Amino acid sequence: MSAVNSAAPTTRGVQVVRFFARFTRAQRWEHWLLFGSFTVLFLTGIVQKYRNESWSQNILTTPERLALVQTIHHIAAIILTLEVIYHLGRGIYLLARRKMSHDIFPEWQDVKDAGRMTKYLLFLTKKTPKYGKYNFEQKLTYWFLFFSIGLMVISGFVIWFPIQVTSVLPGSVVPAAKLTHSTEAIVAGIFVLIWHLFHVVFDRLNLSMFTGRLNEDDMRKYHAAEFERLTGEPADPDQGGQA
Amino acid sequence: MVKPRVLLPFIMLGALMLVWALVVQTPVSAAPLPQQTEQYCLSCHGDPNLKMTLPSGEELSLYISADHLKSSVHSPAGIECEACHTDIKTYPHQPINFQTKRELSRSYYQACRKCHSANYDKAQDSMHAKVAAAGNLDAAICTDCHGAHDVQAPDQPRAKISQTCSQCHQDIFTDYKHSVHGSALINQDNPDVPVCTDCHGVHSMQDPRTAQFRTQTPEMCAGCHANAELMKKYGLSADVYSLYQTSWHGVDVSVYKANWPTIWHESAVCTDCHGTHDILPASDPASTVNPNNLLATCQKCHPGAGPNWTSAWTGHNKIDPQRTPFLYAVDRFYVQFAQAVLWLCLIYVILQIIHAIVDRVRRSLK
Repeated sequence: MSAVNSAAPTTRGVQVVRFFARFTRAQRWEHWLLFGSFTVLFLTGIVQKYRNESWSQNILTTPERLALVQTIHHIAAIILTLEVIYHLGRGIYLLARRKMSHDIFPEWQDVKDAGRMTKYLLFLTKKTPKYGKYNFEQKLTYWFLFFSIGLMVISGFVIWFPIQVTSVLPGSVVPAAKLTHSTEAIVAGIFVLIWHLFHVVFDRLNLSMFTGRLNEDDMRKYHAAEFERLTGEPADPDQGGQA
Repeated sequence: MVKPRVLLPFIMLGALMLVWALVVQTPVSAAPLPQQTEQYCLSCHGDPNLKMTLPSGEELSLYISADHLKSSVHSPAGIECEACHTDIKTYPHQPINFQTKRELSRSYYQACRKCHSANYDKAQDSMHAKVAAAGNLDAAICTDCHGAHDVQAPDQPRAKISQTCSQCHQDIFTDYKHSVHGSALINQDNPDVPVCTDCHGVHSMQDPRTAQFRTQTPEMCAGCHANAELMKKYGLSADVYSLYQTSWHGVDVSVYKANWPTIWHESAVCTDCHGTHDILPASDPASTVNPNNLLATCQKCHPGAGPNWTSAWTGHNKIDPQRTPFLYAVDRFYVQFAQAVLWLCLIYVILQIIHAIVDRVRRSLK
């Protein structure tokens, strides 16, 4: 990815802010689909998971409501599945054409970054690591949800179509899928609420997934290595990153 | 103030009256008056040939066996003819105007209410009373089950209860007789197995074909099958109910039971798989839940299920490394994984929050 705007001629009294492209329009659309379907699936899912509890039964007041909640869950599931198929299809296409960017793949550097960041959080060092386009927190978010959603989609279809599935696979996959679907949903929900939400809202408000871009200050501070790679300029050492 | 000497005769008189009352009165009122009607009535009704013809043409025997009366619970306790036949005070009797024998029975059994009002009232809310009100006059009344002049303890021996019901419900009794419960009752006089009334209730038995009865079935079976001590005696698991409740079927049924007990729901209850009156042990080749018959039983609700389907059913078994190794592995994984994810996320985020606070404090102190 390259900088959106290269440095424009500066006029006295006018500050020019450079923005850096981060997500394409298609990627942002994918995120919206994921956000919407995940939220709907999570909410309609826990109502069903806890349908024995009184709070759930206050929502599922009639058998028709239970059926409605299940239908909404299934519609959202189909949307999420289509999104997953698109995402995987595009990934395979890019890999086959050798056009896939390496930014999101985990590397040894991420392990080192995680160790260094932990040291920083424990006040053992004063410098945060110099991150590339995606720091290890963001890579972890992506890959954790990649596998979580994969498991949710697979186990979801197993319990949606158990008769068809057991005509091919052994029966033991059905109770295992039921357990997986029910538990993984909670694990993924906790992960999104604690980890992802904290990092993009409370740690620092990072709206790049909606705007598609990140400003120069944030790039220098949080993605110093990427900034240096893109601009050839040193990221300001005072703003963080390795000296 | 009255002088004590004036009061003395009255005190003496009072004391004498007290002594007289204690000594003389008490013994006289201690013995209840025995009912003497039985002997008197039997002087006519002891004749085996005494009978009359009702307008319907039915012949009504008026003979009462003295032996029947003696062996009943009532007569030896001093409860004799007029306790129930309250309308007969004199001889010659008032003429009776019942058209049929059944009409007579359905009128006379109301006398039971006099002493047994609680059970009588229960019976009036029962399925029997409802079908009688709808026109089936053969529906059971007190005397059909308990007898009339020969009333005896209804549950001595226990098998007598099922025999009593079988007088009308012969087909069901035949099924029951061959079931694991019925055969143990009839052949071994087993005190633990359910007789008809254990599941259907006594006196107040309701229609067992309603949605309510259906959703209550698991609790009913659990009455014995969740009793660890009782199940141990027969080498059965007492976890069947608690595991059923966590199963797909069980959760569905409990939701319907809690919210919509009158709405019919197809999710399986105990009897859908195990049978009702004809329940057999799973090891019996004829059992609906015998491994050889299980698929056919599943297919009743899940048409199209293939041979792999039955292994999707974990039975009423806990997650176990031998029986269900895949499920066990998934379960173990999630126990560890869910906790690890939760704690790692929390610790890391809390460290970040602490660091951010410390940074702000430092900056403001600069």
